[in-house]
Amino acid sequence: MARYAMVFDIRRCIGCHSCTVACRTKNELPMDMIYNPVTTVGPTGVYPNLSMVHLPLICMHCDNPPCVDACPTGASQRRDDGIVFVEDKKCVGCLACVMACPYGARVKNHESGAVQKCDFCKDRVDEGKLPYCVLTCHQKARVFGDLDDETSEVYKLVNGERTVRLLAELGTEPYAFYIYG
Amino acid sequence: MSKSIDLQQEGIEVKKSCCYFCHQNCGVLAYVKDGKVLAIEGDPSYPTNEGGLCCRGNIALKHLDHPARVNYPLKRVGKRGEGKWEQIPWDQAMDEIAAKLAAIRDEFGAEAVATAGGTSRTDDWARRRFMNMFGSPNCFHNSHLCWIPTFMVETAIYGWCPFDLDLGASRCLVLWGQNPGASSMPEMHHIRELQTKGLKVIVIDPRFTETAAKADLWLPLRPGSDLALALAWVNVIIHEGLYDAEFVTEYCEGFGELADHVEQFTPEWAAPLTWLTPEQIRESAYMYATSKPGNIQWGVAIDQLGKSAGAAMHARALLRALTGNLDCPGSDLLTGPSQDSITDEEMEANDMLPEAQKAKQIGADRFKLITWPGYGRIAELAKKHWGKAPTAEWMCEAHPPSVFNAIITGEPYQIKALLVSATNPVNSYGQSKMTLEALRKVDFMVTCEYWMTPTAALSDYVLPIAGALERPTITNSYGCADFLLCSQRAIQPMYERRNDYNFWRDLGMRMGQEEMWPWETVEDAYHYRIEPLGYGAESYDEFVDLYRFHFPEREYFKYKRIGFGTPSGKVELYSSTLKDLGYPPLPEYAGPVENELDDPELAKEYPLVLTTGNGFMPFHHSEHFQIKELRFLRHEPRVEINPATAAELGIADEDWVWIETRRGRIKQKAALTQGVAPRVIVTERGWWFPERSMAEPELGGCLESNTNVLTSVDDEHCDPFSGTWANRGLLCKVYKVNGADAKEGK
Ligand code: SF4
Ligand code: SF4
Ligand code: SF4
Repeated sequence: MARYAMVFDIRRCIGCHSCTVACRTKNELPMDMIYNPVTTVGPTGVYPNLSMVHLPLICMHCDNPPCVDACPTGASQRRDDGIVFVEDKKCVGCLACVMACPYGARVKNHESGAVQKCDFCKDRVDEGKLPYCVLTCHQKARVFGDLDDETSEVYKLVNGERTVRLLAELGTEPYAFYIYG
Repeated sequence: MSKSIDLQQEGIEVKKSCCYFCHQNCGVLAYVKDGKVLAIEGDPSYPTNEGGLCCRGNIALKHLDHPARVNYPLKRVGKRGEGKWEQIPWDQAMDEIAAKLAAIRDEFGAEAVATAGGTSRTDDWARRRFMNMFGSPNCFHNSHLCWIPTFMVETAIYGWCPFDLDLGASRCLVLWGQNPGASSMPEMHHIRELQTKGLKVIVIDPRFTETAAKADLWLPLRPGSDLALALAWVNVIIHEGLYDAEFVTEYCEGFGELADHVEQFTPEWAAPLTWLTPEQIRESAYMYATSKPGNIQWGVAIDQLGKSAGAAMHARALLRALTGNLDCPGSDLLTGPSQDSITDEEMEANDMLPEAQKAKQIGADRFKLITWPGYGRIAELAKKHWGKAPTAEWMCEAHPPSVFNAIITGEPYQIKALLVSATNPVNSYGQSKMTLEALRKVDFMVTCEYWMTPTAALSDYVLPIAGALERPTITNSYGCADFLLCSQRAIQPMYERRNDYNFWRDLGMRMGQEEMWPWETVEDAYHYRIEPLGYGAESYDEFVDLYRFHFPEREYFKYKRIGFGTPSGKVELYSSTLKDLGYPPLPEYAGPVENELDDPELAKEYPLVLTTGNGFMPFHHSEHFQIKELRFLRHEPRVEINPATAAELGIADEDWVWIETRRGRIKQKAALTQGVAPRVIVTERGWWFPERSMAEPELGGCLESNTNVLTSVDDEHCDPFSGTWANRGLLCKVYKVNGADAKEGK
């Protein structure tokens, strides 16, 4: 079984937002919904001694997803390959998962009434393609792959570079890893 | 809840198309069924973008069928700018336009018809071909502000201008006034990749940009002081013995004169002018000169300096020559024109324009380098050396502000008609109020466009033009590179849109040019251009399907075999070509167009230094403000101000502020950032508001936040070589918009 993960190489991200735009366009999301915002921190410091980093966010595809536990209808699920997704027909829009997610990754779609979020483009992944935000990132700041495959780039990065997981102390075991450099 | 389309379904064709929203032309795969594009993706096998697409690339389908697109030929009914249009057939539009142009030619001469071109969205050779046969030398273009002066100065000095960087083997890259992190993203990726392998990157930019944040060295110079910095680098490289003595002795002329000339331009001299320390200047010059081989990438900033632009380009070019960083592995390559295919220039039919008409080109009396006197001379040298000339379109242009001025004043003669294609002059040319006055005043205006822009709104005819996915594309750096990257159209143009090629051809056919337009479609013309490559493809589409790219084998050190394309066959550090044209053969210092040292009185009233050329993701020039999937990222125009300055002026983050120069004022929203120096103000360019009324007097609010209201096209502010006008290094003041005056700015 695969174990999907995404690695964000913060050293490469330039905050161009094309992942954000690509995802929304591809998933035909309404204007008030974003699966994967990119926040810019900086420039910090005092001119001219400055630094600036950009931080792309997504659903972390936690190994221990509190959103799935919180969901009363079973709409929020985790596949064996680790992809956390919402089966929208089962979702009643109660927002329990939205409250439970510590990463703010879930948004209610006011057109459909269902809660939605990044699902790692599971339909593309099932076809052997990359998630769209990964394909579209000119900077190759996003790396996607199977963490159980020792030849994969994500495996090499997670095991070879200094990576961090956001809010690791909560024990959600996210499958999004960040390289700060 | 992905509404993903099944791309395996029967009948889907994958077309090798490209993105058309900037010059990178990233490769796109378009999934097409029954003449409709169902989906697009970045093409993973395209060598530059490798599947990547920026924000703009990703909204291609929104652009393709946006409700605000102009889809049918429109003819003005009612008053100019009133916003009343009648939909008419193409044939009628073309008949009427042809008749009008013929009448103007008969009464005022062919030169009374001018054309304005945009940013390589178009087959500009076709426009030039039409104009040459029509008999008018008055084509012009935004190209003055973008690379063209650089190309011509450098070609004068060493016979071609490097646009091709051999980055793979490079050890040092100077990004001079360039921010690929926001403007050429495929390139940014390759730079980052190479940095991990030891490439040193120097960024020269007043702003702390996406790219500066990743640089090894950032030089935050005073806006507009590039010439002082370049001269000081030349001084350091010569006087501290960092130059390549062998290359200079063997292949350059005029070293002695140059060495004497730059003795005065020490880092200590340049420090107060550039706001850098002598140490910063020395350290950076050392880094470039000693990390060999190295590159200096062209950046648009120097082209936009105005008065000091030509000398700055000259000084920057000398840096490459002195360090021997020309045409050797890892350096800036002089590829010359494509020897294997038919170039843009060969398609232009420049011989068809009579000498007497060339002599009438507006601006050729003052700005000789990018007009027939300079272009003619340089083209002749290039032909002798390479066998082919650089493209005349872009390199040989009427001086745009002077054309607008001619419309207003009738001097040096009357310009009666303006054909506008792929540009929105009021937002993209300098001193917008004057440009707008000219657009309002010109007798006859036709605009080929995607949208109802402020310029289109003032036209007599607006014609719907095919965009990305609807047209084939050859990418070859304006005919100045020797390689080709080819893309096909995904679909035929929707509605009644047409390629601009067909516009010029149809017009030509109606004006007695039948013999000159044998190619019915753009693909036919492109096939003619690529046939000599020898791939044997039956059609252009087949070529794209089977081969798509043509990269000729690289020959380094060509100068050892053929010399340089100058009169002496050497790099002319002391330029005989510039001298023959009446310009200084060595770069002479001039300050920024407006500065506190030369005009202390002005600086009292306008104490801040303004730079206006700031392009920003996700927009491109004055485009895409209609597209809400992009606009949400930047809803309103932003001006960058240092928090210390803002505090002094009582300005808070997100306040609307006026930015004012001698030429007018605009308002943008204050963005407080440490990323600019306390005395520097950085405005965003391009802004207008397509969501507002597009009729007079509102015209999409085209002056309200438009930074070009602030720029200067006065003759004494223009570069004497090329006529490029002043977008950088101006003086301004900034103050808060208060309720009472918030509405001004028409
Ligand atoms: S597309 Fe890539 S570089 Fe751009 S913001 Fe997203 S992760 Fe960063
Ligand atoms: S980030 Fe939130 S929504 Fe995503 S899997 Fe974790 S808990 Fe669930
Ligand atoms: S960088 Fe963006 S706009 Fe330019 S060609 Fe590529 S995808 Fe298109």
